[in-house]
Amino acid sequence: MAGKSGRTIQSVKKNSLRSTLLSWEGALAILFIALNIFNSIISPSYTVTNVLREMPKYLCEIFMLFPMAYILILGDIDISVGSIVCLSATMGCFVCNTGLPVGLSFLTCLAVGTLCGLINGIILTTFTELPAMIVTLGTQIIFRGIAEITLGSGGSVSLKNTAGYNAIAGKVGIVPIVFFLVIIAAVIFTVILAKTSFGRKLYAIGSNRTAAHYAGINVQKCRLIVYTIMGLMAGLCGMFLTSALFGANTTTGQNFEMDVIAMAVFGGIATTGGKGNLVGGIISAFIIVLLRIALGQINLNSQLILVIIGALLIIAVLIPGISSSIKAKQKMRAVE
Amino acid sequence: MNSKAQKKSIWKTIGKSREASLVLVLIVLCVVVTIMNPTFMSIKNIGEIFRNNSLTMIMALGMLCVLLTGGIDISITSTLAFAGMTIGLLQKYDILHNTFLLFVIAMAIGIGCGVLNGVIISRGKVTPIICTMGFMYIWRGLAYVISNSSWASGADVAGYSDFGQSAGPYVILVVVYVVFFIMMKWTKFGRKIYAVGSNAEAARISGINVNNTLTAVYGIMGLLAGLAGALSVSVYASAQPNMQYGKEMDVIAACVIGGVSMSGGRGSVVGTFIGALIMAIIAKALPLIGIDSIAQNTIKGVIILVVVILNVITQRMMDKQNLERRAM
Repeated sequence: MAGKSGRTIQSVKKNSLRSTLLSWEGALAILFIALNIFNSIISPSYTVTNVLREMPKYLCEIFMLFPMAYILILGDIDISVGSIVCLSATMGCFVCNTGLPVGLSFLTCLAVGTLCGLINGIILTTFTELPAMIVTLGTQIIFRGIAEITLGSGGSVSLKNTAGYNAIAGKVGIVPIVFFLVIIAAVIFTVILAKTSFGRKLYAIGSNRTAAHYAGINVQKCRLIVYTIMGLMAGLCGMFLTSALFGANTTTGQNFEMDVIAMAVFGGIATTGGKGNLVGGIISAFIIVLLRIALGQINLNSQLILVIIGALLIIAVLIPGISSSIKAKQKMRAVE
Repeated sequence: MNSKAQKKSIWKTIGKSREASLVLVLIVLCVVVTIMNPTFMSIKNIGEIFRNNSLTMIMALGMLCVLLTGGIDISITSTLAFAGMTIGLLQKYDILHNTFLLFVIAMAIGIGCGVLNGVIISRGKVTPIICTMGFMYIWRGLAYVISNSSWASGADVAGYSDFGQSAGPYVILVVVYVVFFIMMKWTKFGRKIYAVGSNAEAARISGINVNNTLTAVYGIMGLLAGLAGALSVSVYASAQPNMQYGKEMDVIAACVIGGVSMSGGRGSVVGTFIGALIMAIIAKALPLIGIDSIAQNTIKGVIILVVVILNVITQRMMDKQNLERRAM
């Protein structure tokens, strides 16, 4: 039954408890529960209320996880998103400070983000030979550069009228609005990826771009759409980041792209394309967010979190390689 | 008709040799800037360009090797910060003040970091960008942790920083470039790197130990990052945990402008040098010709994009011409 690629097509889905627990998502879910227990032991202030209060500024990064997962599944990468966040937040602040209605400021954030994503997409689909890494490296420098020019010599802008942005930073009970939005976005993006033909196309392109092209999939159209959505979500992230920081500066959103890619990879999405799903990505995102909150609460050197995320990331990518080499050895032995 | 043919042949030689076209760009750039501001071509100014960009130029060589194998290393400036911070702290707490030994320690740390990258990438079959991204977090985080987020100031590294103001950086720059030029062109190891980058499978079958070559390449990258860390502390007379933050992209950009292919197997030491030099001159020249330094990054980004897009367009035109010739 196994094809040349070693993959099998099964008509009956295995859904036993054992296979669920042994899957990457299962392991992440167990880690998630363990982390919560660990956090509540090390930090006495690790309560639901406190965690939800500190969450918004970390949550906005998760908006970008969903389209980034799409891009990684396509086998592409986008390292310009941190700069898009910076540019859209900057523009949003300036529009808000001119006294225009705050709705227009929100719209500016989203429009700037979408436009940046569209530019990435157009360049990449017009010059398909170019690797996504180098194009988005160029636009990364350009987008942040434009923000730097706009911000001028001071290098920062703060909101004069925070009323509008306070509204989106509000809460329903103890749960911040942005939390609901993240959940809604998570459901929409997960369903699109897992259940629609568009989602299947993304996997097909990521597994084998040429084969997908010959199968009649408009590869470049899919890439353009996904990069544009990436820009839109980066704009959304910029908007909510402004509502948490009440301003923007030249370092806003710096290294967000790496954080987001780390979340996705830790969630089992391969950067080589065609593998992974959003469930793992979302669990891993919340693991990283909760770890940050807990370490912040116990006043540990905040940069230690970098070491922990880095170590987790490397362990996470090493495990599949090691386990597959062990399996291969077992198979060899069985053959002998 | 005749002039047309001649014109074509000039374009052909320039098109054929990547380095020739880069030198042309470099000359045009220098001439334009000098016309607009004659102080640009002073010895002092050019000396400053090389001193301030010695880090990027040195690391670009390591990045050249890494890109040649089809990989990428974004952990270099974190390695730089970790190595630099370590030797900064050694001086701050008066443990060691010998300049030579401090350089050796920084380079040893760099090799360690690099080899770790190489082993995980080659033996663990991990995508280079993800592995080095992990270490980018780890070394940068450790630089903050060991220094407890504090600096080693100019007074702490007083004797050591004399080296950075002397002719030292120039000597190191020249030595490193000469060594790499010889290594990449005339040694077995250099040819192995190209072989692995062009076709890893073919290289393996023809008896090259791909894993060891990869480990060595990332080790060299680490070594140069450590060296750059030691230089950085010396040239800028201070060590901070956030030093050279985000500059790894500059190093990659210098390589790409210098004609190094991101998919491996194509690129040269000369091209890398000119690429790094073009980036350095642009950064230095913009304020001199009256463009606000705020706009520097935007222009840098535009140049990177224009270069890579032009590359694609010329490649397409050449392919088309070849096809037409065959059709005739």
